[in-house]
Amino acid sequence: MKRDNNHLQPNPDPSSSLCGGSSPGKANLWEEEATQQDCGMDELLAVLGYKVKTSDMAEVAQKLEQLEEVMCNVQDDGISHLASETVHVNPSDLSTWLESMLSELNPPSFDPFGAAGKTAPMGTLDDPFLGGPAESSTLTTLEFENNNRKHQKRGQQIFEEASCSDYDLKAIPGKAIYSQNTRTQPQTHDSSSSSTLNNVKSEKRLKSTSGSHSDIFPPPPAVSYGIPTDSVRPVVLVDSQENGIRLVHALMACAEAVQQNNLNLAEVLVKQIGFLAISQAGAMRKVATYFAEALARRIYRLYPQNPLDHSLSDILHMHFYETCPYLKFAHFTANQAILEAFEGKKRVHVIDFSMNQGMQWPALMQALALRDGGPPAFRLTGIGPPSHDKSDHLQEVGWKLAQLAEKIHVEFEYRGFVANSLADLDASMLDLRPSEVEAVAVNSVFELHKLLARPGAIDKVFSVVKQMKPEIVTIVEQEANHNGPVFLDRFIESLHYYSTLFDSLEGSVSSRDKVMSEVYLGKQICNVVACEGVDRVERHESLTQWRNRFGFAGFSPVHLGSNAFKQASMLLALFNGGEGYGVEENNGCLMLGWHNRPLITTSAWTPANKTTATSTITN
Amino acid sequence: MSCCELGLFFKRFCFKLLRFAFKSSKKGEMAASNEINLNDCKMVVPLNTWVLISNFKLAYNILRRPDGTFNRHLAEFLDRRVPANANPVGGVFSFDFLIDRGTGLLSRVYRPATGEEPQLNIVDLEKPVTADVVPVIIFFHGGSFAHSSANSAIYDHLCRILVGNCKAVVVSVNYRRAPENRYPCAYDDGWTALKWVNSRSWLKSRKDSKVHIYLAGDSSGGNIVHHVALRAVESGIDVLGNILLNPMFGGQERTESEKRLDGKYFVTLRDRDWYWRAFLPEGTDRDHPACNPFGPNGRSLEGIKFPKSLVVVAGLDLIQDWQLAYVEGLKKAGQEVKLLYLEQATIGFYLLPNNDHFHVVMDEISKFVSSDC
Repeated sequence: MKRDNNHLQPNPDPSSSLCGGSSPGKANLWEEEATQQDCGMDELLAVLGYKVKTSDMAEVAQKLEQLEEVMCNVQDDGISHLASETVHVNPSDLSTWLESMLSELNPPSFDPFGAAGKTAPMGTLDDPFLGGPAESSTLTTLEFENNNRKHQKRGQQIFEEASCSDYDLKAIPGKAIYSQNTRTQPQTHDSSSSSTLNNVKSEKRLKSTSGSHSDIFPPPPAVSYGIPTDSVRPVVLVDSQENGIRLVHALMACAEAVQQNNLNLAEVLVKQIGFLAISQAGAMRKVATYFAEALARRIYRLYPQNPLDHSLSDILHMHFYETCPYLKFAHFTANQAILEAFEGKKRVHVIDFSMNQGMQWPALMQALALRDGGPPAFRLTGIGPPSHDKSDHLQEVGWKLAQLAEKIHVEFEYRGFVANSLADLDASMLDLRPSEVEAVAVNSVFELHKLLARPGAIDKVFSVVKQMKPEIVTIVEQEANHNGPVFLDRFIESLHYYSTLFDSLEGSVSSRDKVMSEVYLGKQICNVVACEGVDRVERHESLTQWRNRFGFAGFSPVHLGSNAFKQASMLLALFNGGEGYGVEENNGCLMLGWHNRPLITTSAWTPANKTTATSTITN
Repeated sequence: MSCCELGLFFKRFCFKLLRFAFKSSKKGEMAASNEINLNDCKMVVPLNTWVLISNFKLAYNILRRPDGTFNRHLAEFLDRRVPANANPVGGVFSFDFLIDRGTGLLSRVYRPATGEEPQLNIVDLEKPVTADVVPVIIFFHGGSFAHSSANSAIYDHLCRILVGNCKAVVVSVNYRRAPENRYPCAYDDGWTALKWVNSRSWLKSRKDSKVHIYLAGDSSGGNIVHHVALRAVESGIDVLGNILLNPMFGGQERTESEKRLDGKYFVTLRDRDWYWRAFLPEGTDRDHPACNPFGPNGRSLEGIKFPKSLVVVAGLDLIQDWQLAYVEGLKKAGQEVKLLYLEQATIGFYLLPNNDHFHVVMDEISKFVSSDC
């Protein structure tokens, strides 16, 4: 006897919406993830993480049966091929995942041993470029061209074990990126024309058909602010001590007083926090101190001086890069997606919204250099904020990258752009070339959320990005909602978030790195808590919210697969044995977390209706 | 005989009759594991359950390597996970807790929302329980010691249901898994979690200022329940009851149910053997007491104040003979045990609420956990 079991089921999210029409191949399915009854998704499986339409259930069952049969026949070799060679993508979409495996095992000319030969992408980086704070000049743009036609010199490369697909980056050990080295003059090389063989892939890439079943977005919100907030709040508690609880109580109470504009009370409480914090140990004390300082600034209206000295900012950024895996994970996963998107392209152009010291690019350039058939011509446009002394920071960075390109024989072109805001950019400034000539990737690491401080800015940027006709847009953002309309909510969210982040730093070996990273994060805390309006730039939003924004703006997701996942996991093992850090796959995006709490997310996108224009792009 | 013993006797008698009618088609383990009896399988479970469990079966086949190693990266990638959620959903909120930094032991705590405020502060997470008696169920997820995690979607879902069903707090332990971490790591982690739960002031029932602890688990989790309960007894921590759902036990001998049901309902002997080899200390066999607690190397629990047990056995689970032997072993030692034998149930029936067995079991668990009031 079936009985009413509603009391046993978690209630679906009340903010569900009806679905619209769908067209194959396009990401036009508008659905709310929590309730799929209206759209025919099997509810029970959906709760367990699998998206299967009720109408497809029998077909999916059939595929499972077929696969079982095939696997019995293929035996261990075929199975191990599926395990180690195949790239799996978006396992939530059962139908597509099964279909991909079926075609993997049953293609017309099946070769389970991948006889086409593998080359390992890259070894440890032995061509680091100079680190250190940049001297700057007043030039706003700078172009570098490496006119030598380079070809790949395999003898000089280091190969690693061939267990990864052609287009995998290898986990980069920390210090290899930045080490002291003397500058060398660019050398002229004898060049011979490179063969322009098309790249031959030895492994099949399983792609989930983008937009068919697996990509669901709620309907467009009315305004660009006020995106519905995420209803999931992951929390991980580490150590609950008596003092810790009192400290948190005090912080909350103070924030509440600020929220209610009871500044006298807030003032009293913020002083208490100071005393309580001293009695704490470790991460909690530091986090509490930063939050208390930020609260104090808000209470006394001593807003932080916004422009941070560029060289100091660079130093902090670099220490953060070394201390913990977040930036490396970001660069690594984004590069993996870019590498795959650039497959087969002869000329590529990366537009980096988050240039900083360009630390992301040596790895990508190295991987491109080792590509089957030789590297593409690589153009990089780096965008960054203006410096406050007269130096040209972007020029320095470009120069260093050019030297690297020289060494690894990659044809290189560079341009730096200074912009106060990404919204100041127009496609016409970027000297875009037709997309059939040059493939574009747009990259943004921890930059996009800043645009949410000004109305219209994010929309402008989305529109400009679409004009670039990118193959791929890689985004890394903090996985948190620090942009809600209510101050107290933002305070609570960010307290959870930064407590977790600080806790993850505790295991760092170098105390100097740790302190610098804490200062780096402390500035973010200050911004979230003390600033408002256009000054509050640390407006982090969650993956769900970014999915909404990208979907609304006309982008569809590009999924990151099991190869990127595995490599990212291996990267984490380099940090303190990987203890505590974990990678998670979430509908094609990769999240890095500390003890189950997701902290940053890498996602990739492409314009939904990409057309190959025959006319030039410049406008 | 009690009612359930009578029922059991009757069922076994029927099976003995049926067995003569069964064709014996097994010619060696290879043939057995390859024989696909999908029609039988599909007829006893709803289609979406069949899809779910078959999908796991398929994925797990890919992850297990013949040399005994495990493709952990791919396993982590494929596993569907959900984050903890401090916002109440369906009357339940959850948060993760790092119980032991040394081993990285996390547990996910599920609590009923009291309905006061939609947004919970970090301080509210550890607010003391208010009712006179609040059962605290320490849950050990299944996965044959190698698969799944506390934050796997299937187990997050199950734990949430347990909260509502039993008006309990549930603590789901993210124990270390094989083959990277063999016996006794999972038991050690279970023991650590038990001590932690027992020492939380905010979990103490008002009635007697004690934490009312129950241990529950499915598959390998059920096995862990038994062994953690043993340690509790030896150390004087009170466990009020054990709930074992399709618990994972075994032995060197090939039992009748193993031979009869090998490969028929999602599970093969071959994969059972693989998981035991991955979990048990190298060089030991399945008569190790971890696997076979009442076997030749086991010990009698006679005279020991062991918690009462609720053991759920699925009639289409090939290891049921071992599970039934476990129940017998408890009885022989004079321990209180209730057997719930579900004739037509397969493994994993409790993962989806779309069948009668699910509701029967939830009822029984609810009664089991409230009966100490």
